Amino acid sequence: MKPELNKHLQDLSQAIIQGLVDEAGPLAEKALTEELPPLQVIEQACVPAIEEVGRLWEAGDYFLPELIAGAEAMKAAMAVLQEALKSSGQSLKSAGRVVIGTVEGDIHDIGKNLVASMLRASGFEVIDLGADVKVEKFVEVAASEEADIIALSALLTTTMLNQKKVVELLVSRGLKDKFTVMVGGAPVTEKFAREIGADGYGESAVQAVSVARKLMARRGGNHD
Amino acid sequence: MLDIKQLTEKQVFLLDGAMGTELFRAGLPPGHCPEAWNEERPEAVVGIHLSYFEAGSRAILTNSFGGNALKLAGYGLESRTYELNLKAAQLARSVCPEDGYVGGSIGPTGKFLRPVGDLTEDRMLKAFRPQIEGLADGGVDFLLIETQYDLKEALLALRAAREACTLPVFVTMTFNLTRRGYYTMMGVSPEAFIRAMEENAVEAFGANCTLGPAEMAGLIKILRTLSNRPLVAQANAGQPRVGPDNLTYYELGPEEYARHVPGLIEAGARVIGGCCGTSPEHIKKISEKIVGFFDRIK
Repeated sequence: MKPELNKHLQDLSQAIIQGLVDEAGPLAEKALTEELPPLQVIEQACVPAIEEVGRLWEAGDYFLPELIAGAEAMKAAMAVLQEALKSSGQSLKSAGRVVIGTVEGDIHDIGKNLVASMLRASGFEVIDLGADVKVEKFVEVAASEEADIIALSALLTTTMLNQKKVVELLVSRGLKDKFTVMVGGAPVTEKFAREIGADGYGESAVQAVSVARKLMARRGGNHD
Repeated sequence: MLDIKQLTEKQVFLLDGAMGTELFRAGLPPGHCPEAWNEERPEAVVGIHLSYFEAGSRAILTNSFGGNALKLAGYGLESRTYELNLKAAQLARSVCPEDGYVGGSIGPTGKFLRPVGDLTEDRMLKAFRPQIEGLADGGVDFLLIETQYDLKEALLALRAAREACTLPVFVTMTFNLTRRGYYTMMGVSPEAFIRAMEENAVEAFGANCTLGPAEMAGLIKILRTLSNRPLVAQANAGQPRVGPDNLTYYELGPEEYARHVPGLIEAGARVIGGCCGTSPEHIKKISEKIVGFFDRIK
């Protein structure tokens, strides 16, 4: 790789790490005008950058504003790069399809939004049902959208039990093996997740991404 | 006018415990607006207030935590912001004993300011304003801007309070214990928090929620080194658990929670109450611990 090309990738990577939302898109375009293949830009600049954002968050150096800015910068860069892929007849393999929402009776959506943006930034297709989502709706949309994962958020100790109801509905409809369920939210714990029969639990939005990846691998490869 | 400095002179100003879990216990359906109960089920709200006064609370907080216009908009109730808060204050006032006090609870909007979210400062200010007017007109003695994670939002709520009334204001932020120490979700450090509180001459301030009482004592100790004003501590009853009956509960019972209270006072807390998972029984046990505490250590 020529050193000046390297620099474009580095600039883009830095823009994502620093959450420079307005610069990430133009820097991605710049990399493309230097005739770097979009896939290479994604793999060498974008993916390592968003992983670095996650690492900084887990280390306690980054907080919610930096995490959101990083995910937004990633989104801006990926919009440009995916467009370029499409016009060259290629497409990016989806990391998986996720139906996400805050469960019924709970209007808190900060955590859910954060998980949704981190999943999107990490290559997942995300169908966000919003907050206060009925138990049936998760199951219906997961079926109609042919989702891989159902991701359930809850902030209240009273509503976290609705995560269990979603799992129960899947079981009663014989769909438990079809969809993978992951849960999260302030009162939710690994133990609770296991007890209600969920397949995965993430303590933070960053963990949620690695859990989703692991769950996809367990499902036998990526969604296509 | 309530003088919190005087009320915390060699004594603890005891607040109440959780409102939300008590409302659920009284039958509030999940997903129903808690503040709507000020009009729909006033007797239930008053019953909770009364149980806290009877347990030994010197002051109780109004049922208005989610009563800002942005949060109420989630239930289509934003146009009723003033009335629901007015009613919240009147209900609390109606059972307040002579030597008791009523604090107006003001929680976060749940929305983010730009650039993290899309909210302007002006919209946020306007979301708090009718809430504060309702609480003030309903007769609260002070305001508690609580469970804040964004310093800007806390300061906007404070500005709305200063513009709308002359009531004393308390502010609490919610900290997590991270690998690097105590920080709010948005990255506010104890130092940045205290600096802003001192600059704005906030009457009392401190922390609530998320932390259990032991971790809370660690945080209060740090805050004490940064400020001489009365410090507020409202810890959770530990972490939530799910019982065999499938109901959620918090790990620290009244007795266990109260055992941490001397530690909180020694760390420097002077305004003490409970947060998630605490009940009138917790307050009763805390109250027994603080009676005569300062006589004993003199």
